[in-house]
Amino acid sequence: MKKNLMKTVSKIALVLIPAITLSMTATAHDPSLHVKKAKKADCSKMDHSKMDMKDPVAIAMMKKCMKQAKKSKDMMDHSKMDKQMDHSKMKKVDKKNMNKDDHNNH
Amino acid sequence: MKMIKLILLLAVLGVGTTAAVMYSGVVNVAADEPHSDFVYWILEETRKNSIKKAAANIKVPDLTDPELLLSGGVDYEFMCASCHLKPGQRESDMSLGLYPAPPNLTVPDNNDDIQVERNNFWVIKHGIKASGMPAWGKTHDDQRIWAMVAFIKRLPTLTPDQYQVLTAVE
Repeated sequence: MKKNLMKTVSKIALVLIPAITLSMTATAHDPSLHVKKAKKADCSKMDHSKMDMKDPVAIAMMKKCMKQAKKSKDMMDHSKMDKQMDHSKMKKVDKKNMNKDDHNNH
Repeated sequence: MKMIKLILLLAVLGVGTTAAVMYSGVVNVAADEPHSDFVYWILEETRKNSIKKAAANIKVPDLTDPELLLSGGVDYEFMCASCHLKPGQRESDMSLGLYPAPPNLTVPDNNDDIQVERNNFWVIKHGIKASGMPAWGKTHDDQRIWAMVAFIKRLPTLTPDQYQVLTAVE
């Protein structure tokens, strides 16, 4: 009985181990590598003290980050927002529930 | 007369052998099966010398303008990085799968700077037959191609963070 069980287990292992190994190699690389998304410049890591401002790379980085900052500032034009935002139509915030939520986070 | 007969015989033999090789299907064209060293050497030398000759008279403009890095960086990220890699990356599906393997442009090329820039411009513009390198000149003007050349020139010196900023879309 034990011998039969051992034989069956070893047969299953012989089939399963190569099958799992092969399927692992087929799915080994990250599918996200195939996705190309347009990302914004991450300017938070720029250390101005270490940058040589005569270097074209440093100048180009500064230009890119300044353009990006200006663009996001333009998008947040509060003078235009006031005209379009009708506060009377907005849902009122339930302060009691908000406070509860705040405490739940602790 | 004998000489003409011999030349004709050799020509028929040559054409016959070529046709036999072509139509028998014995040549393995799989990209995961490398050429023999001899065939690889013949193809590489032919490619190198062809590019060198074709690019010899190209005038290289000033490539130090920071604006070139911004334009070239975005194009490099979308058109080149998947094969020619980016700082901090050692391999990609394309760099492993293509044959001949595309050069890793994040490592410095120690050849003569001007000739490297001429070659890069010519290769980006015209592409290379049967290699996976497209002719970007069909859809991009010379100014944009020079911007890519300027970016590739600085690529080996860039950190992953610098690369991220320069290649991000505005």
